[in-house]
Amino acid sequence: MNVLIIEDEKALAYEIELFLSKNNFICEVCFTGKSASEKIAVNLYDFILLDLGLPDYEGLDLLKEAKKSHPEAACIILTARSEVNDRVKGLDLGADDYLPKPFSLLELQSRMQAITRRKFGLVNHIIELDGFLVNLTDRNIAYQNTSINTITKKEFDLIAYLLLNKNRTLTRGQLSEHIWGSIINDDYDSNFIDAHIKNIRKKLSVHAPADWLETVRGLGYRIKTNV
Amino acid sequence: MKLKTKLTLFNAISKLVIVTLFVLLLPAIIENINKNYTDGRLLKQKNKLLQIVKERGIKNYIEDGESYGSYLPLKEEYISLDTVENGYFLDTIQDEQRLVERDTIDYRILSHTFVVGGKTYLLEIGKSVETIGETTGPLQNIALKILLGMVLLTILADVLYANYILKPLSLIIKTKLIGNKFPSFTLYKEVKTSTSDFQHLDISIHQMIEVIEQAFQKEREFISNASHELMTPISILQSKIENMFEQEDIADELKVRMLEMQKILNRLKSITKTLLLISQIENDQFLKEDQISVYTLLEEVYNEISIRLEERNISFEILIDEDVELINVNKFLLFNLLFNLVNNAIKYNRPNGTIKVTGKREAVSYSINITDTGIGIDAEQLPYIFDRFKKIRQSLLQDSFGLGLPIVKSIATFHDITITVVSEKDMGSTFTLHIPQQLIQTA
Repeated sequence: MNVLIIEDEKALAYEIELFLSKNNFICEVCFTGKSASEKIAVNLYDFILLDLGLPDYEGLDLLKEAKKSHPEAACIILTARSEVNDRVKGLDLGADDYLPKPFSLLELQSRMQAITRRKFGLVNHIIELDGFLVNLTDRNIAYQNTSINTITKKEFDLIAYLLLNKNRTLTRGQLSEHIWGSIINDDYDSNFIDAHIKNIRKKLSVHAPADWLETVRGLGYRIKTNV
Repeated sequence: MKLKTKLTLFNAISKLVIVTLFVLLLPAIIENINKNYTDGRLLKQKNKLLQIVKERGIKNYIEDGESYGSYLPLKEEYISLDTVENGYFLDTIQDEQRLVERDTIDYRILSHTFVVGGKTYLLEIGKSVETIGETTGPLQNIALKILLGMVLLTILADVLYANYILKPLSLIIKTKLIGNKFPSFTLYKEVKTSTSDFQHLDISIHQMIEVIEQAFQKEREFISNASHELMTPISILQSKIENMFEQEDIADELKVRMLEMQKILNRLKSITKTLLLISQIENDQFLKEDQISVYTLLEEVYNEISIRLEERNISFEILIDEDVELINVNKFLLFNLLFNLVNNAIKYNRPNGTIKVTGKREAVSYSINITDTGIGIDAEQLPYIFDRFKKIRQSLLQDSFGLGLPIVKSIATFHDITITVVSEKDMGSTFTLHIPQQLIQTA
């Protein structure tokens, strides 16, 4: 998939490009609004990642242009701007998602995957893990034919996030940020991921051992699968 | 007491004291004046009589060896002329009694001896003291009435004038000091006055408010700019660390250290995000258009926080009417307010403790109490718990950076919600939110 990264902060643009390229996206980078405007007019993209705070261009104008020439392209706004209204304005202008800085690259990728699923209508996105069936569309988990109702929304969020990043170790901080990221509180080190994982394991082990959910000592958790 | 009242009271009292003193002294003064006047008249009468004696001779009044006396029918005045032995000398004016036709009467008497034709005569002219004293009573009376009237008039004038002249002062107090919500960002309105002191006061107050406002504005701008500017470098660092994790050839040992870095970065990120949130709230960047029931909000908080309750085996009770709907609020902010309060109630609780959330309808508000069975807050630290970065002793034991309650405070203030805290050491704390009527939907 083709991604246009519009970000005036070169170091950040580079990191995004590096990450997405590794994950099989084809990236182009623009540091200015002007060059982005030219690129949008000529090329076709599946994703446009747009930093609103460009020095030479009104970011929302660029969004309008992008939506005009590529209505099918998915736009994700990346911004450090504080105006709460920006989010509303951006989404009104047709942006598909909005990610405030600082964001995690994993979070960015998971949002992109969610948009892909939504846009390209991957119905019944079901992944099988040693007999467990995780349905990412309907957001439920089953063992063979029995659905496991005890799994809470939070717990499913964790499984889904680990699954989107399968075979990759996610730190507790990254998991915390994904499921509690929008809550502002003053704990900097208290995450309760371990407790959640413990509960998930307990609930799954009623049916079968969930060995695919691995603890990576000292680092975090990962879902191991070769599917 | 108001300045105006004080001035008027002082004026009235001082005038009354002076008038009373004067009225009390009046008899003495009148007596003195009367005496002088009477003495003058007596002297004049004496001179006139001596003149007559000189012109017409003593025989006009007195034969040999006889004496002369005359008085008015009511005996207010009398005159007498007697022969006295030679060498006798008298020239006085004094109060004495005389027996006139069986009446003993007090007189002011002029006694004067003179010599005519080798004989010495004693002249006495008397004026009844009663007739002199008669005038003092009525005089005192009239003086008292007139003076009291005058005093009342001047007091009235004083009040009116004090009212008029102090009006700018009360205006300054009313509009600039009492009515002003601080810090207020209203425009300067001059208070019209010709009194230079008040002009000075008005301008000084205005200047001070301006300086404070500027300081507030600067602080807000600084926090807003600083937290924004920090976001980009944090973002870059975070991405770099994440990309490093992706590299397969990195030893686990190194990964653990990268994890430490990530943790520290997360801490920096939390602080910055929190400061940014506070500055956004203070700059009125949030809309208040949501409607949500208190119960639903608390349930959402519970869903997010239940894992923390489980970890410490703390029971959580929501005893709130399910039909209390909040209107004109920001759901995201209120969620964060309640989350932080409940989160604190967990953090500072003891294991196996309880948290109770109760609601109560008051006359003009709805109050939500969040009561924990935790370690409580020291009385001397209670006033500071809402200050930014103020780490009170209890919070040092926890992984917090001292912005939890400041967020709560900012969100509450933004919604005109007041918070009160009651706490007892080692027994627990109760945080009460007083939600004003305008945020509650009336059925």
